[in-house]
Amino acid sequence: MSDTFDVAVIGAGIDGLTAAAYLAKAGKRVVVLEAQAKVCGLCGSTELRDGFLVPRVAQTLYALDPQVLKDFPSVQRGLAFAARDLAQVGLGEDGRVVTLSRDTNETVRSIALHARADAQAWPSFRAGLFRLARAMRSSWWTGEAFDPDALSSSNRATFAELQTMSAAAWLDSRFESGLLKATLAFDAAAGSLLEPGSALPLLWRAAQEIDGVQGAVALPRGSAGALAPLLSSTAIQAGATVQTGARVARLLVDTGSVTGVELESGETLLCGAVLSSLSRRNTLLGLAPDAAPLALLRALQRIPVRTGTALVTLALSDAPNLARGEAPLASRYIVADRLETIIAADLAARAGRLPDEIPFEIVVPSQLDGSVAPPGSHVLTCLVRPVPVAPPEGWNVLKPKLTAKIIGTLDRLSPGLVPDIMAVDVITPEDIADEDGVQTPERMIGPWRARIDTPIAGLYLCGAGVEPVAAVSGRAGRIAAALVAGKP
Amino acid sequence: MRYDAAILGAGPDGLAAAARLARAGLKTIVLEKSAGPGGRCTTATFHPGFRASPFADELAPVPAGIFWSLDLARRGAIFFPQPLHVISGAVAGTQVLTKFCAQVRTRIAQELRRADGKAEVPPAKPWLPWQTESVRVAPLDDWSLQSMTDMLADLAPTEAAALMARALAGRAADPTLRGSALHLLAPGLGSSGIVTGGLATLGAALAGSAREAGAEIVCSSEATGIRQTRSRVAAIALADGSEIETAAAISTLDFKRTMLSLFRWSDLPEAVMKRATHYRTAGSTARFLIALEAMPRMAGDAALSRATFHTASTPEDYAHAYAAWRSGVIPEKPPASLRIVSAGDLSLAPRGQATVTMTLGCIPHRLFDGAWTEEHRGVLRDRALAALGATFPDAKILGSRLLVPPDFEEALGATDGDLAGGEIAPDQMFANRACPEWPRTPIAGLYLGGPSSPTGPLATGASGWIAAKALIADRGAGRS
Repeated sequence: MSDTFDVAVIGAGIDGLTAAAYLAKAGKRVVVLEAQAKVCGLCGSTELRDGFLVPRVAQTLYALDPQVLKDFPSVQRGLAFAARDLAQVGLGEDGRVVTLSRDTNETVRSIALHARADAQAWPSFRAGLFRLARAMRSSWWTGEAFDPDALSSSNRATFAELQTMSAAAWLDSRFESGLLKATLAFDAAAGSLLEPGSALPLLWRAAQEIDGVQGAVALPRGSAGALAPLLSSTAIQAGATVQTGARVARLLVDTGSVTGVELESGETLLCGAVLSSLSRRNTLLGLAPDAAPLALLRALQRIPVRTGTALVTLALSDAPNLARGEAPLASRYIVADRLETIIAADLAARAGRLPDEIPFEIVVPSQLDGSVAPPGSHVLTCLVRPVPVAPPEGWNVLKPKLTAKIIGTLDRLSPGLVPDIMAVDVITPEDIADEDGVQTPERMIGPWRARIDTPIAGLYLCGAGVEPVAAVSGRAGRIAAALVAGKP
Repeated sequence: MRYDAAILGAGPDGLAAAARLARAGLKTIVLEKSAGPGGRCTTATFHPGFRASPFADELAPVPAGIFWSLDLARRGAIFFPQPLHVISGAVAGTQVLTKFCAQVRTRIAQELRRADGKAEVPPAKPWLPWQTESVRVAPLDDWSLQSMTDMLADLAPTEAAALMARALAGRAADPTLRGSALHLLAPGLGSSGIVTGGLATLGAALAGSAREAGAEIVCSSEATGIRQTRSRVAAIALADGSEIETAAAISTLDFKRTMLSLFRWSDLPEAVMKRATHYRTAGSTARFLIALEAMPRMAGDAALSRATFHTASTPEDYAHAYAAWRSGVIPEKPPASLRIVSAGDLSLAPRGQATVTMTLGCIPHRLFDGAWTEEHRGVLRDRALAALGATFPDAKILGSRLLVPPDFEEALGATDGDLAGGEIAPDQMFANRACPEWPRTPIAGLYLGGPSSPTGPLATGASGWIAAKALIADRGAGRS
């Protein structure tokens, strides 16, 4: 038996659902094929134990596409924020704290406790980064070609630096305080800080906005997983069909063009176009190994994705006290003492080992949102990176080690926290199963088209790997859908 | 007495510059800290009867134009190539290596022409289509942005390993990181080979050429400062308290040392000060010179006795050692490259005996637990001996000498013992290296030769040669 659709979207993640919503709205017959038994299985939220609501992958939102909210008022209405603009708080080894917030005076005062010169350099650093980031929005948000000649001369100078320098060298040239540099660098730590262009993710983060606030990091009410169900119901309302438990086995390709997909159940669906929210590698190598050019497959095989992200979530019976009252309640905490901590962790993770000191970001959503934990209890989530994707020991061995390390560090930061722990869960790169691809400058400044198109006609990519930097955004889904909808 | 030009450092760059200046009729003096000229082009007795070049066996290529112009062949600088490389027992075929090295030489030659202002050479393959002239950075191509493993991905594994081993000998780099392909260019797979009699022969040939042209070479004379008059170079202060008056100077010290140790910091413009402070240097080389009782037995081909033997064979070996280096730890297995230098050059060891040199990479300049002590040297020596035993199991050692990065700093004045004169990274290579005014510097009358020049890691002698050309041109234009 076979069904016919205009477009099949592989994966009911944020981007897959966004793309489906747009295509359905444009009048296409769309089917979303989700391998898991439940929609938003990976991008939604889950109950750690009774009454404790935790996200599955992302713990904050910072790259949400404003256009998606504008185009789908139901999502906009459903999304409420517990905090719109979290301060970024660096926690040092010996109890040192640095707080980076929107209040420049407060931030300068906080930095001055560590390095006077850095405090002086901060306002112009931040202003310069935000100015250049705003100028980059047109290409990052709309898919327009990027024209460096359109930049002002000071923007051009900063851009040239960011292009050639590594994040480590760039931050070293701006600041002295190791804690400040590590706190800033964590947001770029999805890739190596030693490669040219590795500071560009910081610029990209600065270009994003939440509710019109540039560079903000927000915490949605009901956990960061609250977005996925909203998108899912929007897509269905718009007319998209969502099939769960429908794992795609392979793409049907006829003389270089997609004609449909075959599910693992043996069922085939005919369609004119396929949007895959899997990575380029997993899409071409996994679903169409016979149809893609051999040279490309070899190139894809060659670039192994070595480092990834883990999420450690804890249910606590009492409130943690991470910064000893030295930071605002609405904060995300970065645990990385020096740049070298992140660099060494990346080198270890690339070699398949768990680093001695692991950098991570802590959020305590329950302090700002009573709906995610029972009264008096708390939820604490840690975004841990870089960690190895496929360690030789296997994640079964590494998981308890990682948990022990994180809990050990948390206990140092907030003494007496250990007895309060009621439950722990760890999501490893293995659980996520897909990858976001390698972070390269080409990807960050190159045209959207190049990331969406594939050598197979009718096959497009729309996942987080299409974004300049992988993030929960929906933009990749929107731009990929526009490209497909524009076709006859 | 007033000179037209003073050159700091009698290394290959200083000597090449001196020859060019003196030939143009300038009254030229070369000031050298050590007892003899040559810089890293020296060869010394490290054990009675055994000689080796302590700092390196081979250098980046001497460009043909300079080589023949200075008449170095007639002065005894004869190179013989080292075609064979042995990686964990496998011999790398020469054809692929030769082909790849030719590609490297082309790229280097292109960069030299550009640096010399001879031709507006378009970049080999522009990296970003959206990168335009208005973005003032050097054109970035595959060499700057790929990882070494990507660059070598199409080659057979043994050949790729040989190129990697050769490029990374004595260096610290993770070949899987983007940007690491630059190490294939610098210090240069383009090397012309090993000099008969050791690098001292090349040093002597260069010094002879400079002297014949009329340059004065003064050794045991360390420059400690540059005095300016009306913001122009006026005199060089020496360690003995005397001064040499000069109209211009070429420093062959690295950029960092030139700016931060020869000037009062208050005399430097803030931008220059900042640039020099943020210029990154990274020492990574150790050398182990070994006197052996007998020539090691070669299992197979006798021609192998002239090969280079590498102990690291995979990108992971290098990545592992690099991680240790970054955290200031002596790697468990530092990548080592061994050569029986006496096999092709009988002047380096007594008859029947052998001199082996070992170049070790990923050796930190500063260790996490402090400065290099005898104990640390002992640890490294043991690891080097393990590498020797693994390569030549029957080796019986008569004597040895170990040099670690601080020794290079002491002997050559290289900041952090960095023999490349600055970290090899896209923002510090080609036109992005040191100062944008190069071969001039922000200080009027001061020129930069030496390893921190754009051509420094790519070629031997070229940066001094080009700095001298700029000095002569400015003088002609009345700017001097």
